[in-house]
Amino acid sequence: MSCPICGKAAPPEGQPPKYRPFCSKRCADIDLGRWLNEDYRVPAQAEDDSAEVDSPDPGQNPARRPI
Amino acid sequence: MAETTESYGASAIKVLKGLDAVRKRPGMYIGDTDDGSGLHHMVYEVVDNGIDEALAGHATEVVVKIHADSSVSVRDNGRGIPVDIHEEEGVSAAEVIMTQLHAGGKFNNTDDSGNAYKVSGGLHGVGVSVVNALSEWLELTVWRNDTEYRARFEFGDCVTHVYPVGPAPGRKGTEVRFLASAKTNRADGTFSNLEYQFKTLETRLRELAFLNSGVRIVIEDERPAEPLHTELYYDGGVREFVKYLDRSKTSIMAEPIYMTGERGGIGVEVAMWWNDSYHENVLPFTNNIPQRDGGTHMAGFRGALTRTINAYAQSSGIAKKEKVDFTGDDAREGLTCVLSVKVPDPKFSSQTKDKLVSSEVRPAVENLVNEKLGEWFEENPQQARIIVGKIIEAALAREAARKARDLTRRKTAMDVNFLAGKLKDCTEKDPSKSEIFLVEGDSAGGSAQTGRDRKNQAILPLKGKILNVERARFDKMLGSQEIGNLVMALGTGIGRDEFDIKKLRYHKVVIMTDADVDGAHIRTLLLTFFFRQMPALIEGGYLYIAQPPLYKVARGKSEVYLKDQASLDEYLIEQGVEGAVLRLASGEELAGADLLRVIEGARAFRRVLDAFPTHYPRPILEQAALAGAFEPGSADADLARVAAQVAQRLDLVAPEFEKGWQGRITQDHGIRLSRILRGVEELRTLDGAVLRSGEARRLASVSSPHKEVYSGVARLVRKERENLVHGPLDLLKAILTEGEKGLTLQRYKGLGEMNPEQLWETTLDPDARVLLQVKVDDVAEADDIFTKLMGDVVEPRREFIQANALSVENLDA
Repeated sequence: MSCPICGKAAPPEGQPPKYRPFCSKRCADIDLGRWLNEDYRVPAQAEDDSAEVDSPDPGQNPARRPI
Repeated sequence: MAETTESYGASAIKVLKGLDAVRKRPGMYIGDTDDGSGLHHMVYEVVDNGIDEALAGHATEVVVKIHADSSVSVRDNGRGIPVDIHEEEGVSAAEVIMTQLHAGGKFNNTDDSGNAYKVSGGLHGVGVSVVNALSEWLELTVWRNDTEYRARFEFGDCVTHVYPVGPAPGRKGTEVRFLASAKTNRADGTFSNLEYQFKTLETRLRELAFLNSGVRIVIEDERPAEPLHTELYYDGGVREFVKYLDRSKTSIMAEPIYMTGERGGIGVEVAMWWNDSYHENVLPFTNNIPQRDGGTHMAGFRGALTRTINAYAQSSGIAKKEKVDFTGDDAREGLTCVLSVKVPDPKFSSQTKDKLVSSEVRPAVENLVNEKLGEWFEENPQQARIIVGKIIEAALAREAARKARDLTRRKTAMDVNFLAGKLKDCTEKDPSKSEIFLVEGDSAGGSAQTGRDRKNQAILPLKGKILNVERARFDKMLGSQEIGNLVMALGTGIGRDEFDIKKLRYHKVVIMTDADVDGAHIRTLLLTFFFRQMPALIEGGYLYIAQPPLYKVARGKSEVYLKDQASLDEYLIEQGVEGAVLRLASGEELAGADLLRVIEGARAFRRVLDAFPTHYPRPILEQAALAGAFEPGSADADLARVAAQVAQRLDLVAPEFEKGWQGRITQDHGIRLSRILRGVEELRTLDGAVLRSGEARRLASVSSPHKEVYSGVARLVRKERENLVHGPLDLLKAILTEGEKGLTLQRYKGLGEMNPEQLWETTLDPDARVLLQVKVDDVAEADDIFTKLMGDVVEPRREFIQANALSVENLDA
């Protein structure tokens, strides 16, 4: 697989994959920096409360919501 | 003025006596006589004279030739060394230059009158007389005053005084040809051999050609059977120098930054280019001489670079956004730079000129680079951003390595106490018998803390941090404090140099998140974090995913936990089929295993249907499939017939007063379906693309085995109740509704809704739970999903999230 930071191919097979899945210590460090700087985020549902609004009312058949 | 400054006659030559010492201690004047460096300096010393002529604007070409007899000649097309009689010495000026140490036009530059050269190079500034002193013989040829002159020297002494050879109309220049004195020729020779390296000469002369834009330097070597010949000519000066230095690197910008100018009589020329490597390569030169150890010019350059980039990062807002401080080292990472200054009377820390100490050079360089680089950044915002982006990356990596060290080594009482408040550790100290559950959310953490087996199960609650990115868009992330706690709890440390899997305190690390999309996202974050920063944890088989149930189903006193929607469906179908009969339009009846088979077909049908883009109405797709519209080739064979069939099928399933569907062909070879419903036209379109799509083909293949079942309106009969069935979707809906009768269904929206006993029974109890061991391949896939979730462009990202909510949710299914 290619390095998640710079996209370069990982070091060729046979070499000790010390920095896997990165190509180098540099890219591994940059990645760690992003974790520690809270740069990595995933989308969240609006708020825990608003989930109530979206959920089907209790009388409805829960099996009907799309899988 | 112009006349006096340009005068270069005998009066311009000053004499500083004492040449004999040269032969006694050649190393002091020319460098090492054994390793070849001194020998090559002999050539450079003569070349420098030609370059000086070029710098003064009198010469355009210097030709260096290694002859077959190991003598070397250097010829320029400058003004020619003065041949008139020198007043002080009583011999020709050319002879003085050749036989007196420290004689030459260069030593006048503090004297305003008669200044022949403003600045000059010269490797050692001792002049060509040193070369003469260390040569068996030296022949001087001068073209001047339309006449060719010649003189000959042996071991530094003039044996043939300057004499006119003959007319040479229009020709100008000087040629010096010498045979260095060698031990191989005479016992009292100077150099251990005369083996000139073409490559060595070429490298230094190339440097000179770069540093002296517009001067042509030719190197010829007559020693090999096939003579070598190289011409070095660079119009772009130091700009081309950095390109040459980086010829095998990948640059991050199209053209080098080039700055040139004069400050306080000091000429400054700089070219800078950043490449994608991490190495700094800044080469400083003073009057064409390289300084291995830098000096005041380097200090001025570094100061100005750091300040300019800082100022740009501040004014452009980049610094604020990235919240990172960078240093000069960060700024110079991947920088290739040639910094050339031309300084009158430069001062060096040593004879070898490895370090410049002239204090006036620093402000001159600093001032010019500040001004010009600042301008360049303002005028090239796009490239400036790329450069600053690279610098920030360097700073981030450096920062990260430092933080990793701190995080790994921190053991202060406060940190330990803080962790103790978060981590509910187990009493077992043997890692191979210990487990840690990483639990999302505090309330779930509470239940888990109560429900766990304290002996060998530890709980670390992790709270995803919610961030309001923009209106109606929220992001979740792992706070740095949470990551810090995680690292401390595991005990392994973090970062490439610090992480040690042998220090892992638990041999089962179990991720436990809610069974919803948010939980799946937090799990994706954690998996990606482990995959990237603790791959050994996964490779060692220490990482697991817990499977808390999504549903609890109760019938009377019996309770069943179901982990996801699919298992719930299976459970409900099993219940619903019991006692149910499907009565077909033909009168045939299906029940038991036969009915189950048809229902399985319907589930497959719905799965394929879900893959269609959302804007195609499901019931229309369903009926079109049953009418055979998606059979391979049918749309192309007779589209009108297919359109009519679909309309007919829609009429078949429509209630009595809602029939009247019409099918037409559209321009893109699709089908347009319409009917009049309570006076309003209802319009549905299946375009040409969807008719011929892969999804359509798959829908045809899953529907054809059960086509007969739906050839008319069927009825599902169970316990006196009857449901009309127009297709697979109706059948599924009816059977699931039947299956639910008499059941109490509870859907857990989160782990927090489960009480401690339930959590123990379903998820924690080693005898009852199902843990999924995380394999590297699964995680590489999570990383892929993560990368897409993180995508920079918002729109594609949103589409991806919608399309993949299912696959993210069922990552572990």
